[in-house]
Amino acid sequence: MVHLSSLLLKKYHGGYVVIRLALAGHKQANRPFYRIVAAYNKRARDGKYIEQLGSYDPLPNIYNEKLVSFNFDRIKYWIGCGAHPTKPVAKLLGLAGFFPLHPMMITEAERRRALTDVP
Amino acid sequence: MFQVISGRSIQVARLLAPRSAVLVEAVRGRKSRTDPVAKSKEGRIKVPPPVDPVEMVVLKERYTEYQLMMRALRLEFKEEVLRKKYEEETGSLAEERARQEAEEHRALMAFNNQENLRMLKLRILRIQKEKEEAERKQVEAAIQREQEQQESIKEKERDILKLQEEAKNFITLENLDQRIEEALDNPKNYNFAIDKEGRVVKQTMLQ
Repeated sequence: MVHLSSLLLKKYHGGYVVIRLALAGHKQANRPFYRIVAAYNKRARDGKYIEQLGSYDPLPNIYNEKLVSFNFDRIKYWIGCGAHPTKPVAKLLGLAGFFPLHPMMITEAERRRALTDVP
Repeated sequence: MFQVISGRSIQVARLLAPRSAVLVEAVRGRKSRTDPVAKSKEGRIKVPPPVDPVEMVVLKERYTEYQLMMRALRLEFKEEVLRKKYEEETGSLAEERARQEAEEHRALMAFNNQENLRMLKLRILRIQKEKEEAERKQVEAAIQREQEQQESIKEKERDILKLQEEAKNFITLENLDQRIEEALDNPKNYNFAIDKEGRVVKQTMLQ
């Protein structure tokens, strides 16, 4: 059977797949909500994506938690097919334990601790 | 550099200096590179953020570790994807699935053939019946036509006989004088009177 999805997806010259955060179109001011999404590099941030791999809510809820969800099976598939995760996605996955901790996160935490320890 | 705004971004503008009479917001790229520098920014020299060498060394090490681990993970995931694909195409389950599909196909084809034979038999019977019906109808039609023909012949014979009967009363050249004399001798009076009750009176004034 011919896989129609590969024929329907637009052919980008030198384009690659990225895993990044896209703003879910709730259209409410000062209330963002991100979807973790596998999309082509050249597409708009909120435009057509290939597959949704999870979500991220940056504002903490009433129990002071920020909720994140991942579809690890499909993330493995896309990274195996050669997708690049962006910095915030890599940081989130590092916190989740799927990836190693991102070095910038460690350095920023150290800097903050230095600021609080000094006084 | 500043753009006049209204509406939703009022909150954004209120954070910036709201001293001006009109609410404004900063927009990138209003000046081109040939425009003169603003007065407040004349002596400004842009300086990158300061780098701590110790921290930088530690950071570089961490980055090399991180990239090593990421590369290893990537290769692992690639291998897993390839393995899954290979197993799906040429694994143990694939053969069983193919075999089952072939069996299903054979069974369905056999069923189809059976159905075709059955329908063929029914069709033959039906066609035979229809042929017989048609033949019978033809025969009946022939009989009907014969009968009608016979009846029309009989009617024509009856008409001829009637005409022959009437021919005895015809006026011919020999009878002409005789008939004229007869007609003149016997004047016939066709007048009659009738009233609303329906009483007919045939006796009228003579001549």
